[in-house]
Amino acid sequence: MKRKVLAMLLASAMVLSMTACGGKDNTNADTQTPAAEDSTEAPDADAAEDSTEPAASGSGETYRAALLLNGNLGDKSFYDSANEGLTRLQEELGKDVFDFKVEQMGGTTADEPKWEPTLLDYCDSGEYDVIIMGTWQMADPLAKAADQYPDQKFMFFDEQFMFEENGNPTNIYNILYKQNEVSYLIGAAAAMMTTDETIANIDPATKKIGFLGGMDNAVINDFLKGYEQGAKDIDPEIEVQVSWVGDFVNSTTGKDLALAQYQNGVDVGFNVAGNAGLGQIEAAADMNLYAFGVDSDQASLLPDYAKNIPTSALKNVGNSLYRAIKLDLEGKLAYGTTEVLGFAEGGVEIVKDAHYEEMLPENIRTKLDELEQKIIDGEIVVETAIER
Amino acid sequence: MLQSLLSPDFFNAILRATTPILFAALASSVASKSGITNMALEGIMLFSALFGVIFSAMTGNFAAGLLLTMAAGGAIGLLLAFFVLNLKTDEILAAIAINLMATGGTVLLMLAVSGDRGSSTSIANVSAPKVVIPLIDQIPFVGQILSGQNLMTYLSILAVVVMHLFLYKTPLGLKIRAVGENKNAAESVGISSRKIQYIALMISGVLASMGGFFLSGGYMNMFTKDMSAGKGYIALAASAMGGDTPIGGFLVSLLFGAAQALANMMQLTDIPHELIQMVPYLTTLVGLGVYSYAGLKKRQKLAGK
Repeated sequence: MKRKVLAMLLASAMVLSMTACGGKDNTNADTQTPAAEDSTEAPDADAAEDSTEPAASGSGETYRAALLLNGNLGDKSFYDSANEGLTRLQEELGKDVFDFKVEQMGGTTADEPKWEPTLLDYCDSGEYDVIIMGTWQMADPLAKAADQYPDQKFMFFDEQFMFEENGNPTNIYNILYKQNEVSYLIGAAAAMMTTDETIANIDPATKKIGFLGGMDNAVINDFLKGYEQGAKDIDPEIEVQVSWVGDFVNSTTGKDLALAQYQNGVDVGFNVAGNAGLGQIEAAADMNLYAFGVDSDQASLLPDYAKNIPTSALKNVGNSLYRAIKLDLEGKLAYGTTEVLGFAEGGVEIVKDAHYEEMLPENIRTKLDELEQKIIDGEIVVETAIER
Repeated sequence: MLQSLLSPDFFNAILRATTPILFAALASSVASKSGITNMALEGIMLFSALFGVIFSAMTGNFAAGLLLTMAAGGAIGLLLAFFVLNLKTDEILAAIAINLMATGGTVLLMLAVSGDRGSSTSIANVSAPKVVIPLIDQIPFVGQILSGQNLMTYLSILAVVVMHLFLYKTPLGLKIRAVGENKNAAESVGISSRKIQYIALMISGVLASMGGFFLSGGYMNMFTKDMSAGKGYIALAASAMGGDTPIGGFLVSLLFGAAQALANMMQLTDIPHELIQMVPYLTTLVGLGVYSYAGLKKRQKLAGK
């Protein structure tokens, strides 16, 4: 009897989950075929009704944005930043001018099959002036959606959209970040720290700094390029030791790699390896040395390790979306192009709070401000690993 | 490079990398000896890494945290046994279900407990301590390797001895091996194969959970998402290569740990990292080759050729 009840429960759970998936799949299949005809009429798409490009701006209607996250809020990084930027814009403009919805699609491999159907559902609803998403994993679904719904506008952040390979769609605005610029500052800071005997536990004799990368891809290499250039501009003798985890989750290997670096004379490291990078921060704590944070303010997120994290390099997704939507409302946003935002546009930054001031001596901070200004003025051109 | 290889740091790195694989390899060997492939090691380790953080934070004591984690690991082992033995699920499919559940389930649980999604940094867990053995730590070089390891590392080596004695010197161990060898023959002499396999999978779960506990409470001092990162699968290979015996599993785990530590060290050289990252897998391949070649020779010898 008991076994039967359990079997029933399990069976019903499975049936439920299957219908849940099936439902999405159906809508997917439905939209795929008639989409081509539909899109010419584009039922109630605000975007299509206005003849002018910038959607609802002129007509006094509310500008609606949908933020599709292939992950969840609470990552204390990209997605929270995106949400913060949109919230800030809404508070500034008021709900009747700008409104937005966040759809959290989940970030695991098990969630992956629903990303594309969800995106197509949102396109199909036609209720949104713009649909926003980011990261490389959404590039293919986006290319498909942009092709099927040519009147729907999209914003795509933190990964290059291949316009040419996808028939040059004119309904996508692509945002990239100059991680090489922010990484340049981190490299300069690391180089200055590793020879500064006033900082606790630093051995000024060894001019070695470390870099822990996740996977050897274009974005991480862009970080590395800037980091190396920033360090060498301070002191050409600085040696940058680079280790690769091979993924973004293996924190124990990250820790071992970083420990090997620190034991080999590195005083300061920079982790660009997602969760695996937390291993480097732990290694820094074990050795009483230093590691710079990335993507979120890791010193404030990890209070136990704050004394080992001088500052963090950030991509300000929120700022970039705020800027893009404001431009779109004015009708000035260049859809169909890729924009790369650096210090000048507020697209990247390093955390400069009380903790930062406490960790780094004044001469280093002044130099960093100076370098940042030089980058903004174009006096320093930071090399990139990405062909743009 | 050579200098780094001869430093105690390198040997410490080997032992660190070996410990979680060794626990899981022992877990795999006891399950395999009873005739079931426990592919859920990966999921059990991941769950246990999170449980270790939560339980040690709740009790404020690593030992209590470890015991509770072991109980939870044993429970997952029993769950797998229930699916496989009572519900007649395919053992591989049930294990995959547990592994997938661990990936999402740990994040869900972490969110519920701490509000974090990526890592458990806001939970104040207590890690297993490092053990300094008096006198031995005074010996130059060797002392720095033999002493000062994490408690879990010593426990893992102790577990090798215990598991060897258990499997080969106790009646229950004999029953486990008998069931694994031939279920029907064992049943014919009055051994309940179901009961024995339940016990074996529970022990397997407990051992794997100790490896999981070490990941977040010794190796690292926090739980990070998906931190088991394939160690459960590597351990399956280690156990199989070691002939599913505790001693063999230990030696192969040590080999894998050494290969991993060597690869980490080699990244400090100019050798392209793509090549270096192959080292642990290459070692596995070569090891498997040697193992099967030796097996072949032995069989040929027995066949009188």
